[in-house]
Amino acid sequence: MAAGDEERQGRFEALYEAHHGPVLGYVLRRTENPEDAADVMAETFLTSWRRLEEVPPGPEARLWLYGVARRVLANHHRGQRRRSALADRLRGELAVGYRPPEYTGEMARIAAAFRRLPADQRELLALNAWEGLDYGQIAVVLGCSRNAVRIRLHRARQRFARELDDHRPGLTLSLNSPTNGANA
Amino acid sequence: MNQTIDQIGMINPVTDEEAARLVRPETLDDLGWQISATPATTGPRRSRARILTRKGARRRLLLGVPMAVALATALAVAMVGRPAGSPPAGGQQALSFTTNAGGGITVIVRNPLADPGVYRAEFAAHHLDIILQLRPVSPSIVGTVFYMSGPSTGPQIVPITAKGKCEVPSGGDDCPVGVKIPADFRGEAEVDFGRAARPGEKYVSTGSAFAPGEAMHGMNIKGETVAQVLSRLRARHLTVADFNKVESNGDENVHQVPGDWYVYDAEPWAPGQVMLFVGATVTEPSAGAPQPAQGAPTPSPTG
Repeated sequence: MAAGDEERQGRFEALYEAHHGPVLGYVLRRTENPEDAADVMAETFLTSWRRLEEVPPGPEARLWLYGVARRVLANHHRGQRRRSALADRLRGELAVGYRPPEYTGEMARIAAAFRRLPADQRELLALNAWEGLDYGQIAVVLGCSRNAVRIRLHRARQRFARELDDHRPGLTLSLNSPTNGANA
Repeated sequence: MNQTIDQIGMINPVTDEEAARLVRPETLDDLGWQISATPATTGPRRSRARILTRKGARRRLLLGVPMAVALATALAVAMVGRPAGSPPAGGQQALSFTTNAGGGITVIVRNPLADPGVYRAEFAAHHLDIILQLRPVSPSIVGTVFYMSGPSTGPQIVPITAKGKCEVPSGGDDCPVGVKIPADFRGEAEVDFGRAARPGEKYVSTGSAFAPGEAMHGMNIKGETVAQVLSRLRARHLTVADFNKVESNGDENVHQVPGDWYVYDAEPWAPGQVMLFVGATVTEPSAGAPQPAQGAPTPSPTG
């Protein structure tokens, strides 16, 4: 193997070692089917291998990988599923070991409200609540400005609260939602 | 931390640590090894999965791009008050397609009021999987592309712009009129460009609230209290749709705030409406990340 290839391989190994855990978590949290998670995981790291020169150094690499995984997931959801032979073993183990949780009571209501959000709002809230990313980090994943993230999160929280309220058990829908308090 | 993020943290399906325990380390090592054994194309590739620029104004929702796609003359103005989805005048098509010498296609928007479904169908009739949308945006970025996506590799769609073809409140005149599709374009693409919002319609993307053409153009609110700003907004017949309470561990939406709080910034919300960024301290706290998942939920101040 040429010295350049060896160096490239070393860089990929370091990237994979540092980030395969967070990426596996990210894709599992966003797939109903653990087999899909295995394929998305494989395709995400395959992309990073092929585009290693574009991967930023340091902790930003994780955000870059989330961005790639997000696009691979979007393609999966659009029906462009690729069963990767690379992921055979991972697929088998995840299929045996993982079932997405089923919620009851209040948690089920929260999960249902969350599912009713548009995909981009779900992703914003999940990056904040599940991956624990701050606005600047979310901006890197989504390729927009930090302030854009902040505003979009504001709208997402508003929509989530409305979804939760509209389906509150035993209550009828309120006719007029937000009041403008200090503005009135 | 705010209640919404706490609630969503509660339905986190699986943590990174739990995920790692589901799979044997050898399996993950094996995957990494197999990937690096595949041929890699070295050298940087052009990746245009998303094209979003950062220009100028703070607090942009998605961002106007000076280049752009698809907007015919005076689209911004014509858009207001007319229903989307109205049929093309005189039975014309919404888009016109011209095949270029090299085999590529030039697409010009003939009816900027058409439903996105109509555009999509016309693209599909030319065997193209392209989504074109006109969405309500704040005045200073009307007529710009604010979102564009395409295949991660290969030839990309190119927006066509023309000088002086439209009038937008910001005074910009580099207007989108259509797109060029290379002969060997493969895959799908989406282009979203901004149109003027109708009364009551929320903006999908915004420029700075203080930019020319925007509701708060020319206002300086630095260091002012909520009460002071509300009074100045009333003078302009503007209302506040919502407040964004800025906190160091994550922002929160609130509908009512004390008049002696401070305003840090503002954001266009809908025609005649803005959103204010506020807090109890004169200096804006720097907002950070929530502590993921755990922590007792705090009660919402608005109930």
